[in-house]
Amino acid sequence: MQVTRRELLKGAAALGVAGALPHALPGVAQAQTTQKRELVVGQGGDVSTFDPHISTSSNDIRISFNIFDNLVSRHPDGKLYPGLATEWKLQGQTTWAFKIRQRVKWHNGDPFTAADAKWSLERTYDPAHKTRVNTVFTSIDRIEAPDPLTLLIHTKKPDPLLPARLAFYGGQIVSRKYFEAAGADGFRSKPVGTGPVSFVSWTKDDKLVMEANASYWGGKPDFDRMIVRPVPEMASRIAALLKGEVDIITQVTPDHNDRINANPTTRAVGALYAGLYVLAVNSKVPPLNNPLVKQALSLGIDRDLIVKELWRARGIVPSGPIAKGDNHFDASLPPLAYNPKEARERLKKSGYRGEEIFIETTSGYTANDKPMSEAIQAMWRDVGINAKVEVLEYSVRAEKNRQKTFKGLWWSDPTSTLGDPDGMMWRLLGPGGPQDYWRHARWDELGDAARFSVDEKFRGEAYKEMTKIVLEHFPWIPVIQPYEDYGMQKHVDWTPNPNQAFEIRRFNFKFRRA
Amino acid sequence: MRGLLPFLAQRLFRALIALWLVSTVVFIVMRLSGDPVPLLLPPDAPISEMERVRRELGLDRPLPVQYAVFLGNTLRLDFGRSLHFREPAFTVVRGYILATLELGLTAFVLAAAVAVPIGLLSAMKRNSVLDHAAMALALIGQSAPTFFLGILFILLLALKADLFPTSGRGGWQHLVLPALTLGAFTMASIARLTRSAVLEVLRADYIRTARAKGLGEAVVVAKHTLRNAAIPILTITALQFGTLLGGAVVTETVFAWPGIGRLAVQSIYNRDYPVVQCTVFLAAVMFIVINFAVDLLYGVLDPRARAG
Repeated sequence: MQVTRRELLKGAAALGVAGALPHALPGVAQAQTTQKRELVVGQGGDVSTFDPHISTSSNDIRISFNIFDNLVSRHPDGKLYPGLATEWKLQGQTTWAFKIRQRVKWHNGDPFTAADAKWSLERTYDPAHKTRVNTVFTSIDRIEAPDPLTLLIHTKKPDPLLPARLAFYGGQIVSRKYFEAAGADGFRSKPVGTGPVSFVSWTKDDKLVMEANASYWGGKPDFDRMIVRPVPEMASRIAALLKGEVDIITQVTPDHNDRINANPTTRAVGALYAGLYVLAVNSKVPPLNNPLVKQALSLGIDRDLIVKELWRARGIVPSGPIAKGDNHFDASLPPLAYNPKEARERLKKSGYRGEEIFIETTSGYTANDKPMSEAIQAMWRDVGINAKVEVLEYSVRAEKNRQKTFKGLWWSDPTSTLGDPDGMMWRLLGPGGPQDYWRHARWDELGDAARFSVDEKFRGEAYKEMTKIVLEHFPWIPVIQPYEDYGMQKHVDWTPNPNQAFEIRRFNFKFRRA
Repeated sequence: MRGLLPFLAQRLFRALIALWLVSTVVFIVMRLSGDPVPLLLPPDAPISEMERVRRELGLDRPLPVQYAVFLGNTLRLDFGRSLHFREPAFTVVRGYILATLELGLTAFVLAAAVAVPIGLLSAMKRNSVLDHAAMALALIGQSAPTFFLGILFILLLALKADLFPTSGRGGWQHLVLPALTLGAFTMASIARLTRSAVLEVLRADYIRTARAKGLGEAVVVAKHTLRNAAIPILTITALQFGTLLGGAVVTETVFAWPGIGRLAVQSIYNRDYPVVQCTVFLAAVMFIVINFAVDLLYGVLDPRARAG
C-alpha cells in the first residue's frame, strides 16, 4: 500500500476533529458529588515566595491569603468581615481600635496575640525587612498593643479606609516569634500562619502541598489536603479539568467557557473583576494634551462590539473610572458611549491634523490586550484618527511603566485594592502616583480631601465630581470591566472573589457530598 | 597512533574554554537586556525604593567589577541569589535539573530505541510499504510543531483514550506524553539519518565482498553495516540529546513539566540574572559533557578519530 500525502492529511484532520469534541470524553456519567478529601487547584503560574510581604502577584496572593489571615477579611461579596480582629471602631479622628480574636494559634502551636499583629504591620514598612508592600500602610503613624487582645492603630491623618487596607496585600499577619526563630530564608521556604491551610511541601513549578488546619478558628475547611499545581498552558489546564485531575482552574479566557460548560461534569464561574481595563493616556504629549482629542478617542470605541466579539460577553462596558462594585460607584451613569459622528466633530473642533497616536500594547500581559488594540486602531481609523499599534515585551512595559515613558496610550488593568476609588484612580493617577501623566488642580484637591475624610457623604460628592472631570479629560479611557473566570468540577461549591484572592475558607468552599 | 591521554587533555581544555565563553556571553547579554528592578517591585514603588533594591543586589557597581565577582563566584559554583526566588540560584536550578534529565533521557532513549531499528529496517527493505510508511511518519514527526503535537497527544491519548495524565510530573505514566512529544523530532531525524547512513554503507564495496564471501545477512548487518554506519548516527544522536536537554521549553510548558527550559525562559522574563546564568552554565556543562563523551566514543569506534 502506498500512503499518499493527501490520505495522511485526511487522517490527521480526522484525529484533530475527534480530539476537539468535548462530548467524546471518558467518565461523563460521573456523579456530581464526591467523597474527595483533597482539593487540587491548577493555576496559571507558580508561587514565587511564601513571605506574604514580599510579593503582590496574583499567583502568590491566592496562596498567601490562605496560609495567613488578615485582621479584616474581604469576602467575595465585597464587604468587610472579621478576620483575626473580631471588631473595630474609630476612636476620635485618627485612632482605630481593633479587638483581637481570642484563642487563635499559629500552625506551629504558638498563641497569636496583638503583639504579632503590631509587629507584622510595622514590618511591612520597616526598611530593614525590605518588603514589597511598604507603601500600603503609609497612613499609619504608630501602633500599640496594650494587651494581647487590643490593637490601637494611630494614623497621621483621618484614614477612613484603614480596615480596607488591612484586608488586602500587606495585611497578612505573620508570627514574630516564628519569623525570628526561622530567619527570613526559613520563613520564606516554610511559612507558618494562622490560616485555614498550613504549608507541607513545595516543589517549584510542580506542586505545592498544604494541609487543612484542623483547629482553624473559622472551622476546618472541607478537605484534608490542598494541592496547587502550576499549569501555564491554557489548553492543558482545561484538559486537566475536563479529565477530572483538578477541581478548580484559574485564569480561564472567555473563549474556553463554552467548552467547560459543555462538559457534563464541569462548569465555568466568574466574578466581575474588581477593577477595570483601561487605556491609560500620556496627557503630556500632543495631541493627547487636548481633552477634545481624548473625548473623540473615547467616543470612537465601540465597546459593545469589543465585549461581544473579543470577550464573548464576559464583561461589561464601564461608565467611568470607578469599577462597578466599589464604594461610590454611580449606578445612574450610562455606559460610555460609541458615537463616531460626534467623535469626528470633536476631532475637527480640536484642530487634530492626523498626528500619530501610539497604542503600546503587550501580547497577553493583560487578557486580549493585542486584539483589543488592533480592533480599536481600526475603529479609530474610521473616525479619522491615525493610530499606530506597537507591541512591547513584558519587561519593556515594566520599564516604561517605572520611567513613565509611554508614548501615548497603553493598557492598564488597575485593581481596586480597597473597594474604593482611593485604592484605584487616586492610587494610580494621583500626584506622584505610577500613572502621573496628567494634573488637574481641582481633581487633585478633591482626591486629597476624600482620602482623609471620614465623612462618606462628602467623599461620595467628591468622587462624583472627580468622575465628571475624568470623563472630560480622560487620563484613562476605560474600555471594559471583564469577568475573572474559573473552571471547576460540578462537585465543588465555591464563589470566586472579584479581587483575585482565592477564598477556600469554610464559609465559601465545600465539596458536594452524596 | 596517538595515546588517549593527550587526546583527552586537549578535549578537556577546549571544553573549559567553551564554558568560559558561554558564561561571559550570558553575563553580557543579560546586562544589555535591561533592568530587573522594576519587575521586582509593585508598579507604584518610588524611585528611592528602586535605588535601594539596586544597591542591595549589587547592580549599582561598575560592570567590570560585577563581571570579576561573577567569574570568581562561578568557579565556586556560586551563582548568586535568585532575584525572584530569593534563594541561591544553584539551589533553584538543581531542583529542575533532575526533571529535565528525567524527561530528556526518556525522550532520547525512546527516540533512539524506536528510530534506529526503524531506520535500519527502512534501509534494508527500501521502497517497501514499511519504508514509505516509516518515512512519511518521520516527515510528520519532523514537521509538526511541538506545541500542536503536545496538545494533540493530550486530547487523544489523555482525554479521549484516558491512557495517561494530561500534565504534571509523577509516575512513569506522566512521562509518556511529554517524552513522545519532545522525542518526536529527534526520533524522526534519527530514523531518517539511520536510513541514509545504512543505505550508504550497503552500497560500499566491503559489503559486496562480505556478501560474496557467503556471510549470512544477519552478520553482514550486525558486523559490517551497523558498525560503519554508527559514526554519523552517533553524531546526530548526541547533538539531538543536547537539544533535548536544553530546548524543551514548549514541551515543558504544554505539560507543566518543571524543567530548566521553562525556568530559563521565565527567568529571562523576570530578568533573574543569577538563575539565567546558572541555567545556561549548567546546560552548557551538560552539552559539553555529552560532546566529550561522544568524542571518546568516536575514539573507541574508529581509531582514526584519535589522530584528529
